[in-house]
Amino acid sequence: MKRITKYAAPVICLLLALNLPTPGSQNPTIMDDLGNMHVLGNPPQRIISLAPNVTEILFALGLEKNIVGVTRFCNYPKKAQTKTRIGGLVDPDLEKIVDLRPDLIIAFRGNPLRLVKRLKDLKLPVFVLESGTTLESVFDLVDKIGLVTRREKAAEDLIGVLHGTLERVAGTLTNVNTRPKVFLNLHGKGLWTCGKTGFLNDLVMKAKGVNIAGNVARAWFTYNREELIHQNPEFIVVITKSKSDFQGVKEWFTEAAHLERVKAVRQKNIFFLDEDLVTRPGPRIFKAVDQLARILHPSSFKDGK
Amino acid sequence: MSPKKKRLRLLSILLLLLIAGIYVSLVKGSVRTGFAELWNFLVHNDQTHAQIFIHLRLSRALLALLVGASLSLSGAILQGYFQNPMAGPFVVGVSSGASFGAVLALILGLNMSYWGFSVQNVFAFCSGFAIVSLVYLLSQKKGVFKLETLLLTGIAAGALASSLTSFLIFFKSESFEQAVFWLLGSFHLADWNHIRVIFPYFIFCFFISQWLAKDMNLLVMGDETAQSLGCSVNRTRKIFLVLSTLLASSSVSVSGIIGFVGLIVPHWVRLLIGPDHRYLFFASSLMGGVFLMFCDLLARTILTGSELPIGIITAAVGAPFFIYLLNQRR
Repeated sequence: MKRITKYAAPVICLLLALNLPTPGSQNPTIMDDLGNMHVLGNPPQRIISLAPNVTEILFALGLEKNIVGVTRFCNYPKKAQTKTRIGGLVDPDLEKIVDLRPDLIIAFRGNPLRLVKRLKDLKLPVFVLESGTTLESVFDLVDKIGLVTRREKAAEDLIGVLHGTLERVAGTLTNVNTRPKVFLNLHGKGLWTCGKTGFLNDLVMKAKGVNIAGNVARAWFTYNREELIHQNPEFIVVITKSKSDFQGVKEWFTEAAHLERVKAVRQKNIFFLDEDLVTRPGPRIFKAVDQLARILHPSSFKDGK
Repeated sequence: MSPKKKRLRLLSILLLLLIAGIYVSLVKGSVRTGFAELWNFLVHNDQTHAQIFIHLRLSRALLALLVGASLSLSGAILQGYFQNPMAGPFVVGVSSGASFGAVLALILGLNMSYWGFSVQNVFAFCSGFAIVSLVYLLSQKKGVFKLETLLLTGIAAGALASSLTSFLIFFKSESFEQAVFWLLGSFHLADWNHIRVIFPYFIFCFFISQWLAKDMNLLVMGDETAQSLGCSVNRTRKIFLVLSTLLASSSVSVSGIIGFVGLIVPHWVRLLIGPDHRYLFFASSLMGGVFLMFCDLLARTILTGSELPIGIITAAVGAPFFIYLLNQRR
């Protein structure tokens, strides 16, 4: 994030100071999160997505026909799997990208800056998005992708729907006064978790819980074992790709002798959340809020809400 | 076979491999192209795959060639310098040191360059030089290098530099990709700018070392003998140390650490054409370049849909060779 602001700040200052419209161009422009101007022309017809959450947003905006390439991690919706695979987030295949002749490439923060620079050097139109630290930042992503793909209306509608989900969860939880302590587990066995600057901290807050790692000013890191025992969380939420992976991690927690006094382990409050839902700042993260709220506050959801 | 014949044979084989390597690098890739497409591009100016041929494949192949040549020449110099076939830019810690300097410059935001000299290269050079000087000072006793001390100090100094690099990456970028690039090396994002960075260093160092190759032959006979035969030992040694560090650090700053190339290639060449540095330097450069070009070709074509870090391939080839050498010496 720091890097992004470092790039963006001078550009923003310059633009504010001069307040100039781009000379010689009638088309409106938009700035990406690296501070690069992007001219909005005709709706792009050949889009490459360099991240799974971007792919999900593109599909949600009804751009299925215009997507020509996705990463090998883009597995949702099902139809994304029929698109040409251009490789991974850090090692996409430049030849394939060039060969697909995209008129828009949308990159995300998991893509290295060196890669973005290389794509620019190849004169490819890259639009870079940064992830925020709150769930509301997903609205911002949808909004920007809507603008750059000229799907402003669809983006507005999608934001409305997602906003609705958030409101509904918040409404259901209005009378909840307890805020249980939660430990988020990622990447399987071990204590890899999300701190203050990762957006999952906000996910826990929105579900009216307290992320015990939320006082550490890092995004992703390995939590201290002793600290886990000391904090004594009431819930452990295991974020894995599949239920079978979850079983393995759950056993790891319950069989660890040093953790048997942790409340979540004693009360068997170890729950599963789908990794694809939770770790992608895309439309489905709001489903995860609902699921987590149900885990933490089951009584509020009793009457079939 | 006379030495001259051997040299000519090696030269012709390497030139053939060089041409074949460039051709295969141009036609092989994830986008299907063959001789016909290349022919159409070259002869009929068909622009369909122009960007892929010129800006992706050719630049990458040539960069691998230059980096391989630089690392091998650096290794050949170091092996003569330390009078020891086990030396190499990776083994004596220059590569790791240079990598630390490059990452430090990157994290401090010093990505500017003046008259073609980037701050990052200067940092890479300085820390590479610091490491190699340290190893030099620690591993000699009265001008004699002991193999064990050289290897151990080199490995220790290299490990220290690598751990500092990992430390910087861990705290500042949270990016795994950065770690892979700086610690395992890659040509994935190679472009013509990288070639512009490394080419002048290589050419400069190549000519100077070729010019001083006779003196290196004297140095290998021992400092006293060299002195009595009219070679100013101290000055020559200093120049060679600077050259090998320049070569290794400029390579590292464009492609990260690529291990073992600088170790095995000069050794291999010595087995083929003998220890005369007048030919050894040239042949090592050419062979190292061709070797790394083929390694990179493997790295990008062996898997579909993703790339292998090139360090894995050079280490897979290099490490067994290294063990073999160690065994031979016992």
